[in-house]
Amino acid sequence: MLEATGLMVFYENMLALNNVSLQCGDNEIVGVFGANSAGKSTLMYTLSGIMEDIRKKEDMAGGERITVLGRIRYLGEDITNLKPSSRARKGIVLCPERRRIFSESTVMENLRIGAYLATPAQTRETLDYVFKVFPALQTLRKRIGGFLSGGEQQMLAIARALMAQPRLLLLDEPLMGLSPLIQAMLVRATSEIRREKSISIIVTEQYARPVLPIVDYAFILENGAAVLEGGREELLSNPDVRSAYFGV
Amino acid sequence: MGTEQEQRRKERLDRGIKVRSDGLYALMSWRELSYLTVPRMVLIVGFLILPLIMPSMYWERVISIVCIYALLAISFDFMAHFLGLVSLGGAFFIGVGGYISAVLNHSLGLPPLVSIAVSTIVGALICTLVLLPCLPLRGVYFAIVTLMYPLFLARLIEALNILGGTDGIMGLDSFPGRWIEQYFMILMVLGFLFGMRRLVNTDLGLVLRAVKDNDQAVRASGMSITFYKAIAVFIASAMGCLGGACLVHIYMWAGISLFALDFSILPIAATVIGGSGTLVGPLLGCLILVPISELLRAFGTLRIVFYSLILVGFIVLRSEGLMVYGQRKYHQFERWVRV
Repeated sequence: MLEATGLMVFYENMLALNNVSLQCGDNEIVGVFGANSAGKSTLMYTLSGIMEDIRKKEDMAGGERITVLGRIRYLGEDITNLKPSSRARKGIVLCPERRRIFSESTVMENLRIGAYLATPAQTRETLDYVFKVFPALQTLRKRIGGFLSGGEQQMLAIARALMAQPRLLLLDEPLMGLSPLIQAMLVRATSEIRREKSISIIVTEQYARPVLPIVDYAFILENGAAVLEGGREELLSNPDVRSAYFGV
Repeated sequence: MGTEQEQRRKERLDRGIKVRSDGLYALMSWRELSYLTVPRMVLIVGFLILPLIMPSMYWERVISIVCIYALLAISFDFMAHFLGLVSLGGAFFIGVGGYISAVLNHSLGLPPLVSIAVSTIVGALICTLVLLPCLPLRGVYFAIVTLMYPLFLARLIEALNILGGTDGIMGLDSFPGRWIEQYFMILMVLGFLFGMRRLVNTDLGLVLRAVKDNDQAVRASGMSITFYKAIAVFIASAMGCLGGACLVHIYMWAGISLFALDFSILPIAATVIGGSGTLVGPLLGCLILVPISELLRAFGTLRIVFYSLILVGFIVLRSEGLMVYGQRKYHQFERWVRV
């Protein structure tokens, strides 16, 4: 479905992504694991095209020069130079790190903004679906986004991304700063979404253990380079990986 | 897929001499010393010989006006980029400083240099006091309040017919001589410029920059942001009041045109063009904009059209500002490298 080859991202002279290649098949959940500053968010920004936007703004303001190299193919089409908005139209939707919900809008408004690309029928349908997956949101519909708890905000962020009718959902650290209980709930919801909506999901996380049960294939990033990849069992049997990312 | 075309990127590196001269102890050669001092000396010496090479009385006056706008622009840049307060109050500072100096000179008969000094301090105190209520706030409130005060004061003077009313206060003393006038202005601008550059790197400057970044964190560290903002506003408004006080003595007249919006807008434009956050940039912007606006007088009302076009062009094409661009070119070089 998505195939990125030789991605390299420079922030000025700092190499943030070093020759990363990554594939994500249809209806697959791909995990990307790595420590802080390993390049997870950079990867997500590059795949979703936000990096193009950041690059342009930095350029205008005379800030850092960002260089992006490599190719991204999506559904047999080269999308390397597409704007983030066109990528979203094609179904690549990013659910950004730290949620980035519209904190002064209500939950319902957040979802409606997310549904900008959807037809009214899709909106109604997805709204019902979102409230089925995250029943908590239903009761919070009128609440202002900024007043939600961390877990609720994360549910809202995922729900908002779903409203945009993704075919490939990019979840950037969806479990950050949440309690184990909420984490487990979100992981269950993610796997449900994949099954019922039959979409592909790429999820990044620092700590692999909570996400691992639902991941089909995983990549491990270290200092910007993909040092290891493989299926779930394959990674679990690697002793280095076990101690570093799975805590077992 | 897999097309192995040569991949290149443009690399930006600090010049060796910059890296060497960054540390104070590394200043070993004249080359390194001059690398640091030449840009500063060009500015200082250039400014000092400016009055000597001006062709006419008219352009000599322009220098003084440039200096007044430069004071305002530096004060705007300081508040906007080191304190996080967007001030539209150039006219307010000019007006307060100007009227105080005019009254001191006209009613009490103080000589210009004394009345300028007194009105700078007193004016800055007054400005700080009346702006105090909106200092604890973030957001647009400071901008709105500073925009409203000059309008308010101008109408007040007009309606109550105080301080000369619409005619203004006429017959003020001028500077003792044109050389004193110009060099006084130039030394003030240079002094404030380098003083402010020093100030923003002291502990006080550090706190102010922290206030801009996150005022809650500063509060949590046990500091009163209102107190620190008040100090900074005092300094910034002192610069504005100084400009205003000099202005009335240059024109030997104080009127409600001291509260004109030009004094608020032009410094902002100069900051944008010169490069915000550099403190030198605004000065450079004034050196460009004020003479241009004088040259464009020939076009009458079309002046504003050209002026706006220049501004928009700058924002679209070089939104970083001249000084930021120049500093980068001076300190860094670029080359293509293969990846």
